[in-house]
Amino acid sequence: MNKIGYFDAGVITPEEIFIAADFVPIRLLGDPTISIDKANEHIPPTHCFWARNLLEQAINGLKDVKGIIASHGCDCTNRQFDIWLECVDIDFMYFLNAPLKRDKSASKFFLDDIKEMILQLEQKFKVKITDEKISNAIKLMNNIRRLLKEISEYRSKMVLKGSEFHALVKYVQQQEKNETLKILEHKLEELKTKNPFSGESLKKVLLTGSVIDDTEFIKHLETLGYQIVIDDLCIGTRYFWNLVDENEEPIQALVQYHLNKPINSTKVPSYDRFNFIKELTGKYNVDGVINIAQKFCEPILYDHPYMSKKFKELEIPYLFIEMEYNRESYKQLSTRFEAFAEII
Amino acid sequence: MLVKSIGKGSKMLRATQGLKNEMGRHFLAIEQAFRDGKPTAWATAGSPVELLYAMDVQPMLPENSATVSAALKLSKDFIEIAEDQGFSYDLCSYFKTNIGAVAKGASMAEGGTRKPTFMFSTDVICDTHVNWFKIQAERMNVPHFVMDVPHVVSNTSNRQKQYYKKYIVEQMYEFLDFIQEKTGNEYNEEKSKEIMSNSYELGMIWQDIFELRKNVPSPISTKDTFGGLFPLFTMPGLKSPLKLYKRMYREAKARVDGGIGALEEEKYRLMFSGIPFWYNLKFFGNLEKWGAVIVYEPYVFAFSKFTNPNITREYVLNNPVECMAELVQSFWYVYDLETRVKEFAKTVKDWKIDGVLLHNNYSCRPNSCNLYDLKRKLGDDYDIPCLIIDADMNDPRKLNETQTINKIESFIEILEERKKN
Repeated sequence: MNKIGYFDAGVITPEEIFIAADFVPIRLLGDPTISIDKANEHIPPTHCFWARNLLEQAINGLKDVKGIIASHGCDCTNRQFDIWLECVDIDFMYFLNAPLKRDKSASKFFLDDIKEMILQLEQKFKVKITDEKISNAIKLMNNIRRLLKEISEYRSKMVLKGSEFHALVKYVQQQEKNETLKILEHKLEELKTKNPFSGESLKKVLLTGSVIDDTEFIKHLETLGYQIVIDDLCIGTRYFWNLVDENEEPIQALVQYHLNKPINSTKVPSYDRFNFIKELTGKYNVDGVINIAQKFCEPILYDHPYMSKKFKELEIPYLFIEMEYNRESYKQLSTRFEAFAEII
Repeated sequence: MLVKSIGKGSKMLRATQGLKNEMGRHFLAIEQAFRDGKPTAWATAGSPVELLYAMDVQPMLPENSATVSAALKLSKDFIEIAEDQGFSYDLCSYFKTNIGAVAKGASMAEGGTRKPTFMFSTDVICDTHVNWFKIQAERMNVPHFVMDVPHVVSNTSNRQKQYYKKYIVEQMYEFLDFIQEKTGNEYNEEKSKEIMSNSYELGMIWQDIFELRKNVPSPISTKDTFGGLFPLFTMPGLKSPLKLYKRMYREAKARVDGGIGALEEEKYRLMFSGIPFWYNLKFFGNLEKWGAVIVYEPYVFAFSKFTNPNITREYVLNNPVECMAELVQSFWYVYDLETRVKEFAKTVKDWKIDGVLLHNNYSCRPNSCNLYDLKRKLGDDYDIPCLIIDADMNDPRKLNETQTINKIESFIEILEERKKN
């Protein structure tokens, strides 16, 4: 099946549009095991490793991907779109200007830009993206969101490991959605019958930060005695926490959904992210918060001192780590994670 | 040294010496505003500062102040204060200079900035601007208005630009309402037209000065332009900088008419793309010993603002707010890669440039993002020699001076070989 790949650090791309166009939406994610070669000819070494990793994969070829949507994220990813146009061999590329703000004017603008994207998709691929098809896609995606939210709860019940859940969300973001729906339904049934694992000695934490797409990292934290009971991640709650209004005009409903869900640090007002995290820390009674910034990830780096101050005020243990996008760095950071586990 | 050293250093225009007084007026106006209880606002570079003047709000540009700190060799200390507060080594050095300066209570003469009535940022140049003011607005407990300028890429169509513009215009009016709410000052169309007219004239004179640099030898060098640009982003819309720019133009024109160059013996004509190293402007004097003069800086030219041919004087006067929306979308400084390559190639031809220096600015991602492709395309498609220099605009720790001078010397050798052939 033909795919549309989306390059989006903040999961603000409306996948429903591509489903309605009979494409499989695939979120482009990094692979920390590959070496970066060609992308280094285009992007300086002081830029986001994750974005460079994606470019490397795209230059080498993305199987069955017929089009790319890059959604407005940070300074680094936004400016890289022109590089993708130059060196990635895919005919259709659209820059979705997901607005920085979330007010009424931003909402109207986002609506215009999504409609433009639909128009360009229709013209390029000779398809008709009807309201009816979008509505059906919204229902499908809402079912997926409901299931993910329900399954997510089994993390705090100590039935589902944080790493398993992370892998599941990642799978959903990269596979055909009807198929993933079945898998999620099956998974939920399985979880209902499972007994909790012994979690008394585990440190229950909330994980937040940049795009964390390597499940091995979560597994590594688990080997150090952590259980991620909840998160504020794009491969996590930000992908499924809210639902799209099925009674609203479908494109407008998608706009409202994306401008009202838990905020990404690339958008304004990004400090609202703290309020969402604070709410989760209370609800899930976590032992601490871990905030991971991928090296050169500016949005997270700018917010860190504020987060640090606020969690200190709340007396919630907070660990901030700046991390390189490779597996060797996980081990190097073990001592800091171990020390934090001891403190909390 | 392989390339022969020649001539004396470049001559700065006498008129440029008036810049200090001109900027002094700006800082005095800020002090006066605080004394008189007049509303003040922080604004980011690239934002429509004219709207503030039109609403009788005194602007303060913290980026400008950060360069003052750098010139006084204070930026490193301020940056390290910000890093002690938890801001990463890799973040914007302007931002960190401002964080440190405010934390240390630096005076305006040292690059400090006072608490304003409100803050105004846009993402036209970078998201850092928005993050920066978000952080300081929270710390100082002042309101913050963000203007979102959609990002234009190489394949953005004119149809898209139309609704981008609609979005910006809407925010311009929201901003005027915001100012009225915070200050009580009302928007006055006539005043706005006057401000825009002055701003237009200022930009045009600056462009005329740049036109004079097409002449061989070039009448002026970076000694006039790097500092000379400050009134463009701190005082657009005021009458006083017009006089300074007119004097600069007249003197430069006289040099052209007399066949006098900024350098005694001009041998190589260069373009410098990016933000200068404010903590070490003398660095650029190194070029002169090889007879090289910088005749064009896209960064400096960009702030003349009115570079879009659709924006005529008539349009500016009839639609002051709408034209600002169009201008922020077509700002030279943030051109998409395709447009940038074309503009660079055209500029190199028109200004008879021998080679291009590209500043890979470590702490400015928008500045450095497309440099490798820009260099490759200018070289491959237009046979323009380019050299990438790794440094930073405000953080002296990130400039390896000896290594960079050696790189430039090798580059000059290449230019010399090309001239021979």
